[in-house]
Amino acid sequence: MMRIDFRANVQRVPPNMPPSVRKATTRFLGTRANVVNIFGDERWQQLRQAGHDVRLHTINHLDYYLTRLEENVASAGGIVHWARDAEQARQIVLAIAREHNVKRAVKVKSMATEEIGLNHALIDAGIQTLETDLGEYIVQLAGEGPSHIIVPAVHLTKEGIADLFTQKLGVNAPPDPLELCAIARTKLREEFMSADLGISGANFLVAETGTLVIVTNEGNGRMCTTLPPLHIAVVGIDKVVPDFESVNVLLKLLPRSATGQKISTYTSFITGPRRSTEEGGPQEFHLVLLDNGRTRVLRDPVARETLLCIRCGVCLNVCPVYNHVGGHAYGAVYSGPIGAILAPQLLGVKIAGDLPFASSLCGACADYCPVKIPIPKILLRLRHRVVEGDHVQDAITSAPMRAGARAGSFALSQSFLYALGSQIVKIFQAPFQRAGWLTHLPPPANRWTMTRPLPAFNANFRAWFRKRTPAGRARVQKRKLGIGLLFAGIAALGAWWLARRKK
Amino acid sequence: MNAREQILADVRLALKRTTDAPVLPIPGSARIAPRVPGDANAEIEMLLGEITKLGGATRRISRAEMRAALAQIARDDAVKKATLWETQELKAWDIADALRDLGIEIISPHADKRALAECDLGITGADAAFPETGTLLLRSSPEKPRAVSLLPRVHLAIITPEILRADLAPAFAEVKGEGYWVFVTGPSRTADIELTVTIGVHGPKALRVWVMDGGS
Repeated sequence: MMRIDFRANVQRVPPNMPPSVRKATTRFLGTRANVVNIFGDERWQQLRQAGHDVRLHTINHLDYYLTRLEENVASAGGIVHWARDAEQARQIVLAIAREHNVKRAVKVKSMATEEIGLNHALIDAGIQTLETDLGEYIVQLAGEGPSHIIVPAVHLTKEGIADLFTQKLGVNAPPDPLELCAIARTKLREEFMSADLGISGANFLVAETGTLVIVTNEGNGRMCTTLPPLHIAVVGIDKVVPDFESVNVLLKLLPRSATGQKISTYTSFITGPRRSTEEGGPQEFHLVLLDNGRTRVLRDPVARETLLCIRCGVCLNVCPVYNHVGGHAYGAVYSGPIGAILAPQLLGVKIAGDLPFASSLCGACADYCPVKIPIPKILLRLRHRVVEGDHVQDAITSAPMRAGARAGSFALSQSFLYALGSQIVKIFQAPFQRAGWLTHLPPPANRWTMTRPLPAFNANFRAWFRKRTPAGRARVQKRKLGIGLLFAGIAALGAWWLARRKK
Repeated sequence: MNAREQILADVRLALKRTTDAPVLPIPGSARIAPRVPGDANAEIEMLLGEITKLGGATRRISRAEMRAALAQIARDDAVKKATLWETQELKAWDIADALRDLGIEIISPHADKRALAECDLGITGADAAFPETGTLLLRSSPEKPRAVSLLPRVHLAIITPEILRADLAPAFAEVKGEGYWVFVTGPSRTADIELTVTIGVHGPKALRVWVMDGGS
């Protein structure tokens, strides 16, 4: 994968993207404020704390809850697979699909399957694979990626979608949301009926029973997990929760934070395959537990809290940066503040090292996060990791840059060195100074002056501050003498060194 | 080492946990107090109010009004084919007979999915209901096939007041040993095209909820 260049991506954001993204985020924040208000602020804050505490407890005992989950899925008749990375996960799904001679697969929106690029792998293997969430269906037809975690096609207009349907589906599609929705319903109904595989992710995996919890609004989640004879769920190992008391807490937080609904239209609770032919549902159920970098995230006790995320997307909605650029600029499956902390950890800072800097550190994300992930703190942690490296990851900046930054940090922390430096800068800048501005600097500083001039350093504040009083002025006289002597000394040293070099 | 062992080893290494490391109890702060319910009537009204807000049609109904009400929706929703759960309650209320008398064809809930998808009406009960969110809990069993509330164009749930629960927690305690259940809150919806709320995407286009008054 190529390095993500956030700045370059931002340049490519189409002008209609930010306004349509803001329309969605504003709507969701409005409805969220409303339901949180009804819930009661005090009760809501307790709920957030509970959400945080239960998620953190789980992540801190992840090995225990994963083995419990595995045991309970298996005893319900489900088959559990483990995948260390995207490739292993794809191969597991492909092997199951081949074994069942699968021709057509239908999918519920799932970040985990986006993350491993499952659709491409299936399509390349000759298996027709369709997204069935309306927004995902649209972006799949358009050959694009989702621009918002909850409303993936929010950047497209109804006219654009009508054109797309007319072209790709061979129907006469009017630019009317109701009609477009009806067209998609008819098309996808047939797909649900004929599919031989349903693929989903999960919002939660309940360890105490081995239950998969899937939250949707359209009903496509129920279709994909009810009608095809085979169900494969691909789920990150971070999605496990201990028990139904935890689900009770998290189900109250998720829809309210995501879409401002008190609860989503459908929440399915699936434990293994069907228990009788008569009730309907898949005959076979597979769960693929996906690591793909999550255990690496776990190694940093601070950044570890990234894994508390329940993928509600509220941090995107409140983020000033996200609202100005939309999801595509982040160049990764996860965008917004959560993407800025998750992507660098999953993909490595060599690929996604730009993203922790795509933030103003305003902290709105942490104020809204339903499980209280300290996103700004983790952003800083990752910026540090990008620059200096740590026990999880090597730095990506060059050794001289790091040495320079360390030297700068030391000089700036010593009052004497700082004062000295400010005087030296004055001397060095003299040849480049034009009427108080530095217009051309030698490399590497010319990277700044190529685009804009730099105001010349005055470094007068300390002197001005001291000279406010007579006593101060007297002290300054004495100091001047000292500094004069010091500079004379430096000049003499310099002259001696030059003379020596000439010999 | 296979993938399972490797992942579990990586998790333990990252957390600095050994295989026999103790599991601390879930902290009390991770639990929430259950919601305190209002009186029985207020709870029913809240449930129906929430469902109505989401675009569902609700009513309280007595046994005597049942036939007329079914005739009404048969007309309003142009019902020609219907399917229903084979539960004791729905049998006791003579729903199937009433529909047949209206000239509606009854499709077995165990019929093929394509046959069920052609039904105009799917009738179910519910096993729990949550007033705060307007949610119905539907279990799955041989008498309660999953597709009845999913594939027909209109979903009618006929419930009794006894199934109301103040909060999710007590209902979870009742059903968590089962293989499948679903929460249904209003008709299926999306806002994926220009944020225009559209009812009836993949699931039923309409949800009707009737509460039987005076018990069954």
